[in-house]
Amino acid sequence: MSKCLSLPEAVERYVPDGVGLLSVGGMHLHNNPMALVREVIRQQRTIRRLLTSPCGALNADLLVGAGLVQEIATSYVGFEHLGLAPCFRRAAESGTIRILECDEAYITHGLYAGAGGLPFIALPAGLEASDVPKVNQESYAMTTDPFTGGPVLVGAPLRPDVALIHAYQADERGNAVVGGAHFVDRLMVQAAKTVVLQVEQVVSTQEIAAHPVGTTIPGFLVQAVVEVPGGCYPTASHGAYDFDEEQIKLYLSMAGNAEGIMEYLGQQVTGVTEDEYLEKASARLSELRYGDGLKSDARTGQRS
Amino acid sequence: MAVTVGSQTEELSWSRSELMAIELAAHLRDDDVAVMGTASALPQVACRLAQLTHAPDLWYIAGGTCSVNPRLGPVVSSCCDFDLLRADTAIPLSDVVLLEGRGDVLTVFFAGGLQIDAYGNCNLVAVGEYSHPSLRGPGTVGLPFLSRVGRVLIYTQSHNRRTFVEKVDFLSGPGFLGGPADWASAGLSGGGPALVVTPLCTMGFDPESLRMRLVSVHPGVEIDQVREATGFDLLIPDSFPVTAAPTSRQLSIVRDLDTDGLLKGP
Repeated sequence: MSKCLSLPEAVERYVPDGVGLLSVGGMHLHNNPMALVREVIRQQRTIRRLLTSPCGALNADLLVGAGLVQEIATSYVGFEHLGLAPCFRRAAESGTIRILECDEAYITHGLYAGAGGLPFIALPAGLEASDVPKVNQESYAMTTDPFTGGPVLVGAPLRPDVALIHAYQADERGNAVVGGAHFVDRLMVQAAKTVVLQVEQVVSTQEIAAHPVGTTIPGFLVQAVVEVPGGCYPTASHGAYDFDEEQIKLYLSMAGNAEGIMEYLGQQVTGVTEDEYLEKASARLSELRYGDGLKSDARTGQRS
Repeated sequence: MAVTVGSQTEELSWSRSELMAIELAAHLRDDDVAVMGTASALPQVACRLAQLTHAPDLWYIAGGTCSVNPRLGPVVSSCCDFDLLRADTAIPLSDVVLLEGRGDVLTVFFAGGLQIDAYGNCNLVAVGEYSHPSLRGPGTVGLPFLSRVGRVLIYTQSHNRRTFVEKVDFLSGPGFLGGPADWASAGLSGGGPALVVTPLCTMGFDPESLRMRLVSVHPGVEIDQVREATGFDLLIPDSFPVTAAPTSRQLSIVRDLDTDGLLKGP
């Protein structure tokens, strides 16, 4: 059965208003499922708790800027060499968002625990030395190691209700190829109850099945497939196109104050359909396209 | 900047970032396995330079893509860049997190912070009170793992009193914690911070007090500049050298890698 849906349909059907734990894939300015994120904003879905990969970027900052996020579980929201995340920063400094402070180890191992049905997961000794577990007792706890009798830091499982994930290609049943780096997106897929995939291209099952080892997301974990060529823009889509630094800088300059972010959202998100937005970006997208493409590119590790 | 080296008439020009990369490279060993994370163009260049000079068997992992021994050329700004996948191999991020936890595989961790204190603790989370920060940082990512690796090499482009503070407001990357007693009782398996490289100088840590101590000042920098830019009482030995100026070979390797000139800044 085909899982292909239009962008509005996928969000309407699978992202309920007030969603308990929504996770967004991608890391830094790469593989952010921006078309899905923009659609969540167009449909004004409020998010009780947002989870990022170890490094969230525009995916998280835009949702925070749209005022949809009550709590965020993250180990980083920022723009790497381009600076701090303006909306996340403003919300944190003014106390309008609750932050569940995490570190990379907990997000990764916590998703693993969520995926595997583990009631909690023990974390390596030494992580308790940071202040992170002290300010987030909802995610971390100290307990007794039953084998040694010593103290051990443990983390609660992370089980997203819905994961919004970008992949390079999928067939209509949701078997998907990740172009380039995986980050922790596969763990998010494995841990989430519902997975909505945004892909550059839907291809035939025959084409997907020619590379079973490189097809790292099995369709039985996926509820919806949305084909949006260019859908990561202005972030990068590994194997397809680079991020648009100028566009990100424009975002950073506009999002620096409360009025500016509203103006940005109106111009770039709520005031336009996704098709209109990507049509406007099409010239930039073709400039940013990687010359060598996915199939011929040994860098992806996905294809022979 | 340009400096005349010794009696030679050759005049070399380099940026402070290039000097920092070359200085970090000098502290890498042939048997190291190094890992780095967000915004790590500078340590990536340091590692590649070390591989191409004195440490051909060093391994390095660009966290994010988790590329092992990326070739660079060009050097890229983002640790998650697709271009970093020109490498020996790329392993899943979850594998790198596992190995960071294992503790005996990775020997070098590059770190930084919005705040770095006298004991080498780093803070990427919040300045001011955590619940009402005056500056909310991005978050700590993998810095809590500093407690488990062999040597922590700290680098920052900001040598000023806001960054170098007596005590971090939030401990997101453990250094020598509150000092010798605290460090001993914590019993952490890592070796702690080993080096701090800034645009002004190179610093290490006094083995007894575990406080930051000057190693060398960079060419053209006065010691008073360092003292004034540091928000705690930096240990300064009676005599200290000037950081070795980059050689033309080092600079030429760095520039061959950094074709887009990311390190060319001031």
